[in-house]
Amino acid sequence: MWGLNLPVVLALAAIGGVLAWRRANTLVWLLYTLGALWAFFRFGFAVPIPQSVATIYLGITGLALVCYASSSRERLAETVQPIKRLILEPRYRLALAGLLVALPALAAYNVYADLTVPLEAPGFGREVHPPPPTEMTVHDETIDMATAENPYLHYKHDDPELYAKHLENGRRVYYENCFWCHGDGMGGDGMFAHGLNPVPSNFNDVGTLPILQSSFVQWRIAKGAPGLPASGTPWDSAMPAWEKFLTNEEMWDVNLFIYDFNGYEPRALGQH
Amino acid sequence: MKLSVPMPVRLVLLVVGTTAFYMYLGQIVPQREAHPPPPVLISAEMTTEDLVAVGAELASGKGQCLVGCHTVGQSGPLRYPDLDGIGARAATQIEGLSGLEYLAQSLYEPAAFIVPGFADGMQPIDQPPISLSEDEMKAVIAWLQSLGGTPTVTLDTELGY
Amino acid sequence: MNRNRILFGIGVLAFISVIVTVRLGGFLVDNEYRQPDRQVAAQEEQGEAELTPRQQGIVDEQAADEAEARARPYEEAEYRAVPFVGSRVTVWVLAQLHLLFAAFVLAVPLFAFIIEFVGYVKKEERYNKLAYEFTKLLSVSFSMTATFGAFLTFGLIILYPKFTNYLMHIFSPTFLPYVLLFFLEALFLYSYYYGWGKFGPKMHLFLGFMLNIVGTAIMFIANAWLTFMMSPGRRDDVDGDGVPDFVSAVSESGALLSLRDAFFNFTWMPINIHRIIANVAFGGSIAAAYAAFRYLQAKTDEEKAHFDWMGYVGNFVAIIAFLPLPFAGYYLAAEIYAFSQTLGIQMMGGTFSWLFVIQAALIGNLFLGANYYLWLGMGRMEGGVHFQKFIKWLLIAIALCFAVWATPRYAISSVSEIAAMGGSSHPQLSYLGQMSAKNTAVNILILSTYMSFLLYRRTGRQSVHPHRQLLTRAQAIVFSSAAALVIFYGVYGYFVDSATRIRFAIPQVYSVLAALVVITVIDLPLYRNATQSGETKWGKIPAVSQYALIFIALSFTWLMGLMGYVRSGLRQEWHVYGVVLDTSPDAYTPTLGFATQVVSVTVLIFFGLLGVVFWLSSLGGKKDWEPKTVADGGDRLEGGQAA
Repeated sequence: MWGLNLPVVLALAAIGGVLAWRRANTLVWLLYTLGALWAFFRFGFAVPIPQSVATIYLGITGLALVCYASSSRERLAETVQPIKRLILEPRYRLALAGLLVALPALAAYNVYADLTVPLEAPGFGREVHPPPPTEMTVHDETIDMATAENPYLHYKHDDPELYAKHLENGRRVYYENCFWCHGDGMGGDGMFAHGLNPVPSNFNDVGTLPILQSSFVQWRIAKGAPGLPASGTPWDSAMPAWEKFLTNEEMWDVNLFIYDFNGYEPRALGQH
Repeated sequence: MKLSVPMPVRLVLLVVGTTAFYMYLGQIVPQREAHPPPPVLISAEMTTEDLVAVGAELASGKGQCLVGCHTVGQSGPLRYPDLDGIGARAATQIEGLSGLEYLAQSLYEPAAFIVPGFADGMQPIDQPPISLSEDEMKAVIAWLQSLGGTPTVTLDTELGY
Repeated sequence: MNRNRILFGIGVLAFISVIVTVRLGGFLVDNEYRQPDRQVAAQEEQGEAELTPRQQGIVDEQAADEAEARARPYEEAEYRAVPFVGSRVTVWVLAQLHLLFAAFVLAVPLFAFIIEFVGYVKKEERYNKLAYEFTKLLSVSFSMTATFGAFLTFGLIILYPKFTNYLMHIFSPTFLPYVLLFFLEALFLYSYYYGWGKFGPKMHLFLGFMLNIVGTAIMFIANAWLTFMMSPGRRDDVDGDGVPDFVSAVSESGALLSLRDAFFNFTWMPINIHRIIANVAFGGSIAAAYAAFRYLQAKTDEEKAHFDWMGYVGNFVAIIAFLPLPFAGYYLAAEIYAFSQTLGIQMMGGTFSWLFVIQAALIGNLFLGANYYLWLGMGRMEGGVHFQKFIKWLLIAIALCFAVWATPRYAISSVSEIAAMGGSSHPQLSYLGQMSAKNTAVNILILSTYMSFLLYRRTGRQSVHPHRQLLTRAQAIVFSSAAALVIFYGVYGYFVDSATRIRFAIPQVYSVLAALVVITVIDLPLYRNATQSGETKWGKIPAVSQYALIFIALSFTWLMGLMGYVRSGLRQEWHVYGVVLDTSPDAYTPTLGFATQVVSVTVLIFFGLLGVVFWLSSLGGKKDWEPKTVADGGDRLEGGQAA
């Protein structure tokens, strides 16, 4: 709901409820606020928020909490009191020793975690589905990208026999040309896939075919990586421009086939 | 035993520490040096295709079209109209103006027609501070036409301004 | 014999021996051929010295150099360089230091005059004393301003001769009035300062008034020079089509067409307004820092009480001026937008967009610091626990607004984060990065800070107004409806197109301003003659509050440095926007990291000099020198700070 990870949010709220019920000390509340917000930013969103923003938020929170704790003499005394007791009272010796070990250990772990972050290539801000042009010309045929549909799709109801013929042709085209990279089962895991970055599209994924119009898919087939607009750069996609090898009919057929194979419908015009 | 730091030391620590903190903030944001745009040379024998390339360079450089104002291929709450498909759209924006004339008008007299839903704000591109020359203007128009359409401008085209 | 004298002697000896050693070493080490002394003497005896081939060569070389120097025609230099730091950074730091001291010198008389006037009307001597205390800071700062002004002028003439010459071509008629006004400023400032208690109160107030008039006039003239560089002309609807056209004050080649247009240019008034308000806020915070500095040194309770009160007043002035400052800044930014879309976009969306995230952090810190100081101040009152429970909620509101304001539109993210977000913006957070959310946040920040101030005002006091319940409720209604209106427009902004959304900022600002005015108007009679449950104990405030005051002053100074950079850097490769191009090696816009380093160094220099100013000002109240009997700790402390 609202892009939140509900179990985490509810768990954090529950801990807060318990603290309120037990009338926790100010220091406990401050630690809880910081910890809960950290957990919320880290795990509370369905799409995790970037580390840099979370750091800004936690920094502001930390500053605000310090202000709160020291904003009057009484509150400061109340906040510091448990710390004083922990340090001074003999019965907390063990806890103090534990803390003295735990703090450097935590810092050491932090260093360890920072150093063992898996290496990532620097980002280029490449778009996965770059915007298509408004029209394109393939083999002297101009296609209006907004309204074009697969010309053979309507045979599905009108002429199943002809539809099957086009599908069969699409199957032939796919297993002659596409499966090397996109895979036998269209999982984007063909035999060459491991050598490619970005990896070939996975057509089984609900985030690929169903959200695209068939004209978009046709555009990607026909124009390939060389036809990507600037926002889709850098052009390290290995997709060839298939218009140089295939006829229009062959490309529409394979377009038909990949939708049919995965059981998806192309996104209709104006559908969100 | 009472540990205490003398007041002047505290003050110096506060001043230096706070300044260092703000300076640190300045170091962690993205760092980019902006150099004055290099001159783009247009020679007489350039074809329409060359002009598109030059126009694209001008758009993100000297012409400043894409420096925070326009976008290509974005949707959502935008500052100014997205330029995607403008090459195809231009011919139908104003009745009586061809695509080329429309593009020329929107560069030379931006206030003449405001796309509905947007505020007026663009400046004539042939005037300072951007001051594109007529040839550069043709290159930008060629680039605009190439966005969703087929560029037709050559250096011999008369823009009428 | 005094030990110090021995040490001094050793120091002098060491200095001399170092110099002798270096000279001697240099003489021995260098490989220059020297003729044996006997030979020289022999030659002199002969009366005619014959040159060795080597000497002849040296003489010929010198003659050739001289001939070349004579033959070289005079060339007008366009730029001159400064080694290591570069000419831009030199002028940048000098201008910033000049400006910081000037801002302080212009601001202090403004509120010293108001405080003196309040004292005159209320017939309370303590206000008069306080105003004098503020004025004591002025004379040293005034000299600093003039020194750095001269420094800056020389810097410009030496390092940017051609461009400076061009500015003189435009503005030469304004220089003489400027100098005359500066002279008058000195006259009024010193007669105001030294004449304290020597003139009648009305005469003295008149001097203060004239001081402010002259100071403001000086700033207005200087503002014309710098705003001309950004907007060389005005906008006017010349052809009558309802769209303002740009009327340039200079011709295409840069020749002056109209001094009037160049002077009263498009961004002149917005800068004037913005600067006056910002100067007062800055001056108040620096004066408060002075008070904090004196408080921390104070030995007696009496001194502590006095400087606590002074810091409170200084900070009060700063906050009152700070509240409308975002609006003035918004007005300035809107005018820059209206003048040139390119400048506006460059500022908010282009090269400088990250600068405004840092600005958000600074302003958030300022609001937090100001509120924090007010909350700590509640500890001065007896029986002030009543409002403590509100602090939590105010703090939450402020932290939330701070967070919204500091949310970048496009976050810095790693590749895997971008992959998870499916783009460079987060599905939920991207809403917070937009203008609607940020405008809302700053308006709520202002309302919350005002709320903190109201609570502080009420701490330990009980209204005796017959309709107090009704009036308090009215205040609450005004407050919450302003907040609701601001939030409503903020949320509604997401559902309309951009042309409409931009205009929503105006009702937001007006509702907040109206709320501030209405609540104040209600509050004044409500708490007139209010009973106090306990007296205000000035000086009984945790010492950390004084450090907060210095932190606020520091943040203000740094913020001024940063915003000065963006105002000037906005022109990018132009000296005068669209007219005179910068062709020096420094024409590029540096990285934000570099700019913040320059700002930080400037701020540190300023605070170092400020330490000297504070130290000199505190000398004024000291006893005359007497042979030392007891070590005076205070002197040493101040000396250390000044260093």
